[in-house]
Amino acid sequence: MRFKLWLMGVAAVAAAAIVNPAWAQAIKIGGQCDRTGPTRLIGVELCPGIADYIRLVNKKGGVSGHKLEYTEVEAGYAVDRSVEAYERLKRDGAVTTLDYGTPIVYALTPRHMSDKIPAITPGFGRADSIDGRVWPYIFPMAASYWSQAGAAMQYIKDKGGRKGTKIAYLYFDNPAGREGIPVVEAVAEKEGYQLRHFAVPSPGLEMGPQVIDITRRFKADWVVAHLFGRAPSVSIKELRKSGFPLDRVVSFVWGAGEADAKAAGWADAQGYLGMQFASVGRNLPVIQEIIKMHQDEGKAVPEYVGGVYYNRGVLIAAILAEGVRLAIQNHGLPVTGEKVRRGYEAIKNFDLQGFLPPMTVTPEDHEGGGWVKIYQVKGTEWVPVTEWFRGYREEVMGLVDRANKKH
Amino acid sequence: MAFFADLLVNGLMIGAMYALIALGFVLIYKATSVINFAQGDLVMFGGYIAAAMVSLYGLPLAVAVPVLLACMVLLGFALERGILRPLVGHSVVSVIMVTIGLAQILQGSAAMIWGAATLNMPLPIPSQPLVLGEIFVSYTNIAAAAIAAAFLVAFAYFFRLSRMGIAMRAVANDQQAAMAAGINVRLVFAISWAIAGLTAGIGGVMWGNMLGVDTNLALVGLKVFPVVILGGLDSIAGAVLGGLIVGAVESVAAGYIDPYVGGGTKDFVPYVLMILVLMVRPHGIFGRETIERV
Amino acid sequence: MIGRESGVYKTSYEADMALYPLPIARYAALASLACLALLPLALDSHAMALVNLMALAAIGAIGLNILVGYTGQVSLGHGAFMMVGSYTAAILSARYDVPFWLGIPAGGAMAAAVGAFFGIPSLRIKGLYLAIATLAAQFIIEWIINHWTWIGGGAQSTIYVPTPSFFGWQIDSESARWYMILPFAVLAYVAALNLVRTRIGRAFIAVRDRDIAAEIIGVNIFRYKLLAFAISSFYAGVAGALWTYYLKIANYEHFTLLTSIQYLAMIIIGGLGSVLGSVLGAVFITLLPIVLVYVVEGAARLAGYEYASVANFLANLRLIIFGGLIILSLAIEPEGLYRLWGNVKRYFRQWPFSY
Repeated sequence: MRFKLWLMGVAAVAAAAIVNPAWAQAIKIGGQCDRTGPTRLIGVELCPGIADYIRLVNKKGGVSGHKLEYTEVEAGYAVDRSVEAYERLKRDGAVTTLDYGTPIVYALTPRHMSDKIPAITPGFGRADSIDGRVWPYIFPMAASYWSQAGAAMQYIKDKGGRKGTKIAYLYFDNPAGREGIPVVEAVAEKEGYQLRHFAVPSPGLEMGPQVIDITRRFKADWVVAHLFGRAPSVSIKELRKSGFPLDRVVSFVWGAGEADAKAAGWADAQGYLGMQFASVGRNLPVIQEIIKMHQDEGKAVPEYVGGVYYNRGVLIAAILAEGVRLAIQNHGLPVTGEKVRRGYEAIKNFDLQGFLPPMTVTPEDHEGGGWVKIYQVKGTEWVPVTEWFRGYREEVMGLVDRANKKH
Repeated sequence: MAFFADLLVNGLMIGAMYALIALGFVLIYKATSVINFAQGDLVMFGGYIAAAMVSLYGLPLAVAVPVLLACMVLLGFALERGILRPLVGHSVVSVIMVTIGLAQILQGSAAMIWGAATLNMPLPIPSQPLVLGEIFVSYTNIAAAAIAAAFLVAFAYFFRLSRMGIAMRAVANDQQAAMAAGINVRLVFAISWAIAGLTAGIGGVMWGNMLGVDTNLALVGLKVFPVVILGGLDSIAGAVLGGLIVGAVESVAAGYIDPYVGGGTKDFVPYVLMILVLMVRPHGIFGRETIERV
Repeated sequence: MIGRESGVYKTSYEADMALYPLPIARYAALASLACLALLPLALDSHAMALVNLMALAAIGAIGLNILVGYTGQVSLGHGAFMMVGSYTAAILSARYDVPFWLGIPAGGAMAAAVGAFFGIPSLRIKGLYLAIATLAAQFIIEWIINHWTWIGGGAQSTIYVPTPSFFGWQIDSESARWYMILPFAVLAYVAALNLVRTRIGRAFIAVRDRDIAAEIIGVNIFRYKLLAFAISSFYAGVAGALWTYYLKIANYEHFTLLTSIQYLAMIIIGGLGSVLGSVLGAVFITLLPIVLVYVVEGAARLAGYEYASVANFLANLRLIIFGGLIILSLAIEPEGLYRLWGNVKRYFRQWPFSY
């Protein structure tokens, strides 16, 4: 008799598990990712990274049992299309979005604030949004431009920078490019460096006179480059043609991909330094899992898997998933934008199995620390030359405070 | 002083390359009176074909270049036949807009066929600079300028001495009279587009090597306007001179003015120069003044 | 619209020359206006955002059509004039607390002044040369705004504008923004329709068709060309200022050369020289990328592909279709969508006796 009861109990539980599957309501998230436009060099590798990781998450059972539905929209770095894309994502119920492109972040910030939907802007966007008390719904997670600038200057100091060292800041003549200026200037003033700016109009087609100025008139010792899209490869070629040593060129994160070195020609790009906020290569547990997923599906593993921009896509997707997971864990269903925001702010020691140094987000620090690692072109790949570090954090945070006081 | 010399020399070499693009533009205008806003895109397309063959398919340069030239000639023929011939006689606005539409199509097709990445166009030219006393010159610029100069000289001879060249000049001068003299005007149109395609192809190789090949390469075509306005829309010598002047002026201006205004001078100084020329002498240095009748 | 002209009897010249001489046309126009005003009740936020984008594009397109379609002056600098209006309104509202219904005309006026200035070369040059001069205007204005920090608002060249408000009512939702944009759009439309019926409009058309002959019979073509530039830039400035209030931000990267080319495409595909055509063209070009995404995505899903693999194809297909449509509409139907619309109207007018 008891055995029968026990059997019925087990059968009931089993039936419940089968009939009520783990796919409860899917959670919608959205992302704008440009495969066209001036940043398409980055997008065609980044966007698959995001998509692949989400697929992996869903294959492993979703976030706390809920499938993640990720909608990718394309806006070609154009503000009007990104507004339409954001409205569409909002209408479809996205609880958090990835905004792509600094001018787009500026344009959409008011909407995120009033709609209470958090946006992540990894490695770009507005650096003053580090302070989450002023910008609660914008998360520049993983090394904003100011942190990158600070880190570049730190590397220069570590490599022998001293009073009188000449630094050339080569940047895009647009809001994204100018983001780095405040930190670079602050550090140069503090350390007594000689700093000069060299602007390159977007999309960075030619930069002959600027490079001639840097190498022949100004005779810079170091170049800190904040270019992206097709411009980094042009800068590599021009600097090399002028005889400037590429191992004295430090690029921000978006000019440091395989695509950039390849476009310049690997042989010509040897020694070029670039900052990364996510580890590079296939030797990481998460990337191995993705490769296995591709193989299980019978698909060839694309060449860019494990590359610089692809891995960043994986990281972005992981952050999105983590925010949703913490939102469900701490605040329960149904998931809303507000809960995801608190989920992001609860991220502690998140490192995606070695992808990045442990990232902790707080309401005061929406960036999660601002850690970068510097890689260098050797042969036909990027190899690390430093450990994870960050530089001039006090200057960066001081600037954040000063910028936000104006609001 | 060395800085100025550096800027000047490099500017002149870039100017020779502008002249090459402008040559194609002027050819088309001279023969068919069409303003080709898509010249830059033709350069880009030529660059893509060459870079794809060398970088993606691994063909040697000796094979890639003749194939490129053949393709560009065919493309020129096809464009003239398919797009420009139906629009003979339409207004200036229409023709300008058609070439703008053509530019979009070329950009979209190039990106669709060869992908979004920037392709490298490697040439067997050393990448270190050549040091002449105080001046650094890059071998690439020298090679580009030399090739451009060679083509310009070749075309000068072509137009002066060959039968087809003289026929083209005749058509450019007075279409009706040329037809009356028995010249096959349609053939002249086709050939002028083909030659423009050819120069665009060579330009694509050289510019692609300098700047990397992707759809942004088409933007060099925008520089063609200051060049041809300065030199005269229908003058080949003007294209050469205009190119050199624009190249030199923008390089020197950028080098000296940029630090004071925060950059970007290179892109707008040629246009300021152009507006000045337009106010003072609209038909350019060597252009012909057209007389309009009611 | 579906109107019968029989039985309509006029007794004065004014009545005959009215904008909508037929009673049914008048009722139809009023009904359309009512529909537009009630649109937010029927559409959700995303659709309203689209409608807002189309209306903004339409205002700019109408302005460009006045210059290119009616006066025959090709202008590639429309984006730059929108930029001028946008930043003017932003500066006034962000720094001097000017309300939006003053900021927008002010933006328009500033853009008109700048436009007239860049129209001065038209005294000496025409046709292609003028087109290139306007191209130069695009670059020069972009550079000035980017580098002159007093205008550009600092290193970011971005000016934030506080939420526009109308006597206390905050304009913060898509429907509210529609009510902000609608009066200006209607005014722009009706003003343009009326403009071409006046002396000025006729002078514009004369300049387009035979400017030397017009000058001989006494039309001061320089003055009218400048006026055309000014009016067209006024429209552009108003559109740009509305963009500022719509996005609550002014950024020059919204108004590049590509924007100018897009507006030219709008009026060409919609129909040069017709106000309704400008609107149709604006609607078409604004919806094109969005419709294309839906169509191609749907087809891809049917065929079993994921979005990721068609994304590259899709983005470039849009460019190709864009260019192809420009060429086709010029080669086949120079009067554009307006002509198509006219054909449909004519069919219904004669129905059922269409032969």
